[in-house]
Formats: sequence, C-alpha cells, structure tokens
Amino acid sequence: MRNNIRERERRQMAASGVAAPTRTEVLQLYRSLLRVARQFCDYNIREYSKRRTIDAFRDNKNLTDPSQLSAAFSDGKAQLEVAKRQALVYSLYTPKVKSIMDIKPS
Amino acid sequence: MASKLLRQTLTKTNRTAAIRCFSTAASVAFPSEYEYPTGITMKGVKISGRPLYLDMQATTPVDPRVLDSMLPFYLSRYGNPHSRTHLYGWESETAVETARAQVAALIGAAPKEIVFTSGATESNNISIKGVMHFYKDKKRHIITTQTEHKCVLDSCRHLQQEGFEVTYLPVGSDGLIDLDRLVKEIRPDTGLVSVMAVNNEIGVVQPVEEIGKICKEFNVPFHTDAAQALGKIKVDVEKWNVSLMSLSGHKIYGPKGVGALYLRRRPRIRVEPQMNGGGQERGIRSGTVPTPLVVGMGAACELAMKEMEYDENRIKGLQERLLNGIREKIDGVV
Repeated sequence: MRNNIRERERRQMAASGVAAPTRTEVLQLYRSLLRVARQFCDYNIREYSKRRTIDAFRDNKNLTDPSQLSAAFSDGKAQLEVAKRQALVYSLYTPKVKSIMDIKPS
Repeated sequence: MASKLLRQTLTKTNRTAAIRCFSTAASVAFPSEYEYPTGITMKGVKISGRPLYLDMQATTPVDPRVLDSMLPFYLSRYGNPHSRTHLYGWESETAVETARAQVAALIGAAPKEIVFTSGATESNNISIKGVMHFYKDKKRHIITTQTEHKCVLDSCRHLQQEGFEVTYLPVGSDGLIDLDRLVKEIRPDTGLVSVMAVNNEIGVVQPVEEIGKICKEFNVPFHTDAAQALGKIKVDVEKWNVSLMSLSGHKIYGPKGVGALYLRRRPRIRVEPQMNGGGQERGIRSGTVPTPLVVGMGAACELAMKEMEYDENRIKGLQERLLNGIREKIDGVV
C-alpha cells in the first residue's frame, strides 16, 4: 500500500487533480476514529463504532482511484466529526447504572 | 445588589453542592427512583446492571448519526416548515423535502409520493379506512391475513361494524399465506388487499412480489405494512407493485413518533384523509410536520441504504453462529 501511495503522489505532482490522502493521514483518521469510539459510554454504540471503522477501513484497503480515495477519506472525516459531537452528548446523559456487559463478573 | 449576591453565594446550602459534584444535569433533571449506583431495583427484582437489549423487533435505539442530524432542529433551526415568509420556515421546509427524498430513495419511489405521518399505525389507518371510505360506493370487500398487526385488524373490525365485508386469510404452519386461496377470495367488489411484508412477531417474509402480480392482474389496490421490512430487505415499490405502503421511523434506528405512507401516483390511489385541518401533506395528513423527527427518519433511511449490505452480512454471520452452535450441541433442533 505504501508503494501505491508514493506512486500516486508522484503522478499527482504531475497532473493536477483531487488531493488523495497520504498514508499517515489515513492512519491518523483510523486512530482518531477508534479513540473516539472508545469514549462512548453506551456499550452497544462503542462496540459498533469500533467494529464498523475496522471493517470499513479493511474494505477500502485496496482502493487506488484517487477520487474514490478522497471521497472515502472525506466521508471518514465527516463521520469523525459526528462521532466526536455524539460522544460528548451521550456522556452528558449517561445512565447511573452501567450496562451489564461492562460489569466485570465478580 | 452585589452584597446580596455575595450573601447568596456564601450561604449556599450543602445539599446543592453535594448533588452538583456527582454528575451533570441529567441526574438533577430526571431523578430515578429505581437506579442506584450498585444496581437497579424494579418490580421487586434487583439486577446489577442495565440489561442487554435484544428486542429490536419492538423498537430500536436511535443511531448517534441520526441524533446528530436531528439536534440542530431542536436547538436553533426550530421554524415551522409551513411558514413561507421567513428563513426559519424556508430552512425547515428544505430539510423536510430532503428527508422526503431520502425516504423515497430507499423504497424506489418519487418524493412526491411520500406523506409523513405519526407512525406506521397512523399510516395503516389512513390506508385501510381512507381507501375504503373513498371507494365505498363500488367496493365493499377487503382481504387481509390473520397475522397482521393489531392496527390493521382493528381497522378492519371497525369497517366491519360500518358494514363492509372482510376476509381474513389463514396462514400455513410456515406463516405464509396460500396464493391460490387469495386468488379465489378476490371478488369484483374487492377494494383492498393488505398483507404485511415482514411479520413483527414471527419474522416471516411474505411473497409480496407474487401477491403484487396477482393484484395487478385483478386490478385491486395492494397495501403492505413494510415497517419491519424497511432497511432490512430490498424494498422496491415498482417490483412489488404496491399502491400503498406504511413505513415506521423507530424500527430503522430513527426517532419514535414518525412514520411515512407511500401513495402511488400512477395509477393514482385516492384516500379520504383521517386528520382534517390545514391541508398539509397534500391534504392527506393535516398538521404541522415535525421537522426534527422527519429529518431523523430521513437520515435513518439514508443510513439504512448505505449500511444494508454490511448489516446483512453481520446478521447472517451471527445467525449462522447461533444456529450451528445450538445444532452441534443438541439433536432434533428445528
């Protein structure tokens, strides 16, 4: 994947077009999404966010078309904004008792 | 003034300080008598944590992405979508129309054919009672099944008391209706055939395409309650040949209190409105359209369209894991 991105960057320096994300940017987005997913207090949403980001990034691993890549990347960035806002809203209204799945069996 | 403020702050009671340091506004606004830090006591039972929710056929939690799209319309964009004179009204109206297009895209319809209601129950009532009252001179017969939702069965009973005739088709042991029996029951004065696409209690998927073909042959309007089917199986009003379809918001990870009714325009099906008033929603359902709920339903439908494949694969995987896991350990499982 690294070679693909370097090649693409070189091609893009020559031809002007849509700016595709670099490898570091994609990884940064991935890590931020997982970090935000961990902050949800609701068990279901936390697990779903983690699983969905992992599966979505895995499915888009082999994209090469720059417009598709930048569309997927901007979609991911938008979802990150939504997730950050919602993690805050959900934390303001946590129920007093945790979900049974979060309670360690004693 | 300043000395009064100073006196108030210095003599703050202990109790308010104690409440404020535990959690934020929620616990002060909604004191719950049954939730304690160690567990929940409700109806004489004590459990240590909130149960895991598996009853998604009854209702679903609101997806955070849907909530995110709804909140601005509660906080700052609170205009009435029918106000035509100011920005608040214009932006609410564009939001409602976007949501309408999103719902229409999920079922393969045109935005003009969608009417927002307060839920699938209201949509069912409008379809059944509305259609029969409109065509009451020529059509006096309805066909439905025995496993329909209570609102459909109750509407049919109401129509029976008014003098219409209703045929309740029985279902086989697998939950599907008999198509030959349906063909036999259709009469020249049949005004409506109402069969739900996916049953809410037993989860059976009825053969809606074949029923649609039969109804097209006999030129009978076909109503289906697709509240459970939306977002889970591919819903296409052209392939199914439905004239009316009821949709619900809270079954597809949207808000409660909103639903939609699809009314075919070609050939046009006419209904008598059950809610009279200012002529909103093309006169079929008067009343201010609840912008945040409708925007939430639109966002939920768009999400459902994007995530349908992923969800299907995940659920299929979980279903196979459950079935195979049980079948390995126990014999004689049906």
